[in-house]
Amino acid sequence: MSRHKIIRTMNLADELDDFDGEEDYYEEEEGMSSSDKARMADGLRRVREVIGNDIPSLTDEKIEETLWYYYFDVERSITYLLNQVGATEKKKQKKAVAPEQKVREYHTTPPHTFHKRIPFGFWDDTPFGGVPVSRRGELIPPPPPLSGIRISGLLGGMQPGKTSKLAALAKARNKAKAEKAADASAAGTTGTAVSLLDRLSKKKPSPPVVMEEAPAAVVSAVLNISKLEQLVEAATPDPSKNEPVQNKPSVPGPEPDTLLKAAPSGFAKSMFGKRIDEIVEFREEFTDAHFMYFSIAPTQKAAIKAKQAFEVPSPDDVVIAAQSQSKGIAKVSKGEKSATSVTASIQKGVEALKVGDSPEKPLLAKTPKNKIDVVAEYEKSKSKRKENANLVVIGHVDAGKSTLMGRLLYDSGVVDERTIQKYKQEAEKIGKSSFALAWVLDQTGEERARGVTIDIAVNAFETERGRFTILDAPGHRDFIPNMIAGAAQADFAVLVIDSSPGEFEAGFNVRGQTKEHALLVRSMGVQRIIVAVNKLDLMHWDQERFDEIKQQMSQFLATAGFQTKNVSFVPCSGLTGDNIVRKPANDLMAWYSGPTLVEELETAKPVIKAVEKPLRMTIADVYRGGVINPVTISGRIEVGNIQIGDTIVAIPGDEKATVKGIEVDNQAAEWAVAGNNVQLHLAGIEMEYLKIGDVICQADKPLVPLKDFEAKILAFESLTPMMVDIHRGRLNASGRITKLIATLDKGNGSVAKKKPRHIGPGSLAVVNIAVTGAPLPLEKGSKIVLRADGLTVAAGVVE
Amino acid sequence: MRLIKQQVERDGSGTVTLYPEEPEDMWHAYNLIRVGDTLRASAVRRIVSESSTGSTSSSRVHMNLTIIVDKVDFDSQAGQLHINGRISEENKYVKIGAHHTLDLELNRNFTVGKAEWDSVSLDVVREACDPAEKAEIGAVVLHEGLANICLITEHMTVLRQRIDVSIPRKRAGSITAFEKSMEKFYETIYQSILRHLPISNLKVILLASPGFLAESLQKYIFAEAVKTDNKTVMSAKPKFVTVHCSTGHVHALNEVLKSPAVIARLADTKYAKETKAMESFFKMMQTDEDRAWYGPKEVERAIEKGAVATLLVSNSLFRSNNMQERRRYVRMVEEVKASGAGEVMVLSSIHESGVRLDGLGGVAAILLFPLQDLDESDEEQDAADEGNEDENL
Repeated sequence: MSRHKIIRTMNLADELDDFDGEEDYYEEEEGMSSSDKARMADGLRRVREVIGNDIPSLTDEKIEETLWYYYFDVERSITYLLNQVGATEKKKQKKAVAPEQKVREYHTTPPHTFHKRIPFGFWDDTPFGGVPVSRRGELIPPPPPLSGIRISGLLGGMQPGKTSKLAALAKARNKAKAEKAADASAAGTTGTAVSLLDRLSKKKPSPPVVMEEAPAAVVSAVLNISKLEQLVEAATPDPSKNEPVQNKPSVPGPEPDTLLKAAPSGFAKSMFGKRIDEIVEFREEFTDAHFMYFSIAPTQKAAIKAKQAFEVPSPDDVVIAAQSQSKGIAKVSKGEKSATSVTASIQKGVEALKVGDSPEKPLLAKTPKNKIDVVAEYEKSKSKRKENANLVVIGHVDAGKSTLMGRLLYDSGVVDERTIQKYKQEAEKIGKSSFALAWVLDQTGEERARGVTIDIAVNAFETERGRFTILDAPGHRDFIPNMIAGAAQADFAVLVIDSSPGEFEAGFNVRGQTKEHALLVRSMGVQRIIVAVNKLDLMHWDQERFDEIKQQMSQFLATAGFQTKNVSFVPCSGLTGDNIVRKPANDLMAWYSGPTLVEELETAKPVIKAVEKPLRMTIADVYRGGVINPVTISGRIEVGNIQIGDTIVAIPGDEKATVKGIEVDNQAAEWAVAGNNVQLHLAGIEMEYLKIGDVICQADKPLVPLKDFEAKILAFESLTPMMVDIHRGRLNASGRITKLIATLDKGNGSVAKKKPRHIGPGSLAVVNIAVTGAPLPLEKGSKIVLRADGLTVAAGVVE
Repeated sequence: MRLIKQQVERDGSGTVTLYPEEPEDMWHAYNLIRVGDTLRASAVRRIVSESSTGSTSSSRVHMNLTIIVDKVDFDSQAGQLHINGRISEENKYVKIGAHHTLDLELNRNFTVGKAEWDSVSLDVVREACDPAEKAEIGAVVLHEGLANICLITEHMTVLRQRIDVSIPRKRAGSITAFEKSMEKFYETIYQSILRHLPISNLKVILLASPGFLAESLQKYIFAEAVKTDNKTVMSAKPKFVTVHCSTGHVHALNEVLKSPAVIARLADTKYAKETKAMESFFKMMQTDEDRAWYGPKEVERAIEKGAVATLLVSNSLFRSNNMQERRRYVRMVEEVKASGAGEVMVLSSIHESGVRLDGLGGVAAILLFPLQDLDESDEEQDAADEGNEDENL
């Protein structure tokens, strides 16, 4: 085949999705690894040993599935299976054939008489040219499975093209699953295990949900075909659609398993000819046409491709048309336009090709100068969306910060049962079973092996009243730079205190991090602090202990500069989960009637940020966002706003880049404002030019980096002219205090002594600081923290 | 360095001929040679000769040149000393007053002539020619994404390589990028240790970091050495010592060198002593601030009162081009020595401890007894001092 033809027959959307799929394939390590397989085999054998082979309904697949769910926990699997068997046996006595019937009704398909008469492949080469209107059939896509998908978030939440290794397993499992679900609903008594399954399917797009995938796959396949049909129509104003009524066999049969293979026949494309309007709706969710790949049998696919090759305007034409549209050079005829918009929607993700505009907002791409008034948009949308608040979790090392947050994420449904089971087993294996919850956040090998958080972990969760981003900070004093990075992005802080005997005191003494952390977050501008008095289960929920800690902490926090109304105390236990998401059991804390930790979080409001000022954002991370987005940075916008198409510059340095995509809290957006946690996909810059700690500015309003500056500081330790580490968010640089200019009076800020010899702890002073290396992206008003020899020596503001 | 010949007259003028043997000797030469001194050393000069017909031919000629020093330039990375000056002794190729830049070379004599050899200069000569065993150590200070590979000799800390890479942070669900780039980071460090540190000559190699990085690096180095069958590294295994420090910036060396593990091994070295002295100064500052003073004016007053127990001076002060200034510091040193009660330590300004001292203006003193208000009524004087300090830094 000539190269030209290859290009002509290439389905761009297909190709890209395949690729994308592969990318995710490697990143997600959810498939069955060989060790998993070995464990599976072992587990299966052991279950069989206990249960024996006499129960016919217990197929190997079923057992394997259960094992997978319980992460190879044999005992729990057996209990579950036995319960399951009990339930099905009972129900079988009542009505035996019901489930089968149910599935059929579901799809409302007439008997497949035509299947028998028409041999396979009969329609493949039929052009379906002249069927009279009277004989045309109309099929309506089965809506219930679709809505099911939306709820489960299977397609929406799933990465495009995520074809995990589980696909094979899932297929096999499908059958059992359909039976089981049907069984359960028929019996009317959903056992706990089943409800667990339901929960799982809601939480995570993981294999067990595949039951719903089968119909979905067919629907989307049909969609894709209809899309092709649209293309055909657009290109050649077609005579008439011509489909025999007998096409129904292509509709899902009762066996989901065969469904995956039973391709929609070639003529299915015309079946929805009149329903394009509806389909357009779906397209938004299914633009990633990857399902087609699985659902269409190879021969059929080839046939379609071949057909497309001749009837569709070649991809080149399409791209050219799209480009010219985006440039606004050529006036596009009506026919061309529709073709373009269709392709544009198919290739929504193909920004790399500069098709440029998704159908929703062709204006922006066409005239990049036509900027959105972000401030106005923000004001408009303010009431509509839930504000996101960042909270940093701080406290002494081993106070249980990570465990508490792991518990919070688990109980609020962000982390699913299986993951926790897995962590529990792995943690037990290395003798640290109590760390299982912390592993949700501590993910690197080092962190797990040592049982210490090293870097901040960022996770998000949502309650009815608010959205929160958790920044789980390390407590160990070696990693305070990382904690500073987290605190710099926070709206408010959760200070976790270990209430067990001696531990509170250890964290609270001079070298403990309880004090240092609290002082640090305060000096970085955090005003609201929630003190979680953790591990109270070890103290038998003793009120006296709680009150003692409360009294000492209130006193200290008041001296640290927190207003009493901004400080609240919550007793809780991260390990047991009491008083975090759920209320504690009645008898535990009769003396406490206040809110749970989550309720307390909900009362905290994000800090109002200056949206209209020039953009400032410290880069928290630089990474490869995928094939389409080779350079992605993340961070929190400190002030200002940004939108797609903006030119930005990373200070220090003068390399410019264009923002080609914005994600706010992992949702694609066109603009973002101060306070948002964003990922920016950049074009026109190499990763080498972006460093963690650099500050992103609009190219026309850049910040001028400083080499030498004055700062007003509050000293925590004795200061002389000395070497210090300068921290600002992720920025960590070395510098030197060159001059002690003056100490200030704390009351009125007037100069108390000029040129002091040294600055004592607790005093306010103005000093001159010289940067050792390259100039730093600081400006007047930047909050900095100075550290030396592993101690925080001062915090202050650049003058 | 070897002392070949020393001819110093009663009035202090005279010449000293030295034979440099190792790169560190260039540092001593740098501290010895001042603007205005005469220097005689071997040189290569391109001579252009013009024939009677006007055609020119050039040739490179080896010769000994004597110059009056205009400028001294030291490159600590390469260990080279470039001295710029005007020729003071004519020979058949060059005229008096012609400019020449002498690059001092190892294993070739040079002769320094001064109008005034003061005690500090003679001390430098003595110290430079001290044949005591040299203890060189390698040090790698690092934190995530930043590593500094340094070579610490008796008198110098040389930053051989700085590695600054961006390491993606751990993100929910994906830590592969993080782990991959950490691996690469270790690899880079390992390679530059091999390239920049003479492992077999070093007494000890310190790996210092906050947290567990240093240990991981050590593990990586040995694993890699086994994998590549690197005998040098494997035989040097006991030399690798991990130390805790709070950051990966170079100034963390201060912390590293005062850690007990290091002191135990290097107690008798000069830089360990210097570090310790600086440390005790800062400690004194916090506990008994009237017994620790810094700044030329204050220290001078303390010396007048005979109160100085330890005088810490950075050798950057003696490199001052201002003769007046230099005499002032020399006098301070001599007075403390003469008093018999005090000890003088001249700190190398390119050790981290010296850098710290320079931060305080280059001179500090720990006193025998507390003195108050040494800094009073010297506002105008300070302004002048600061001007000079800035020059010295």
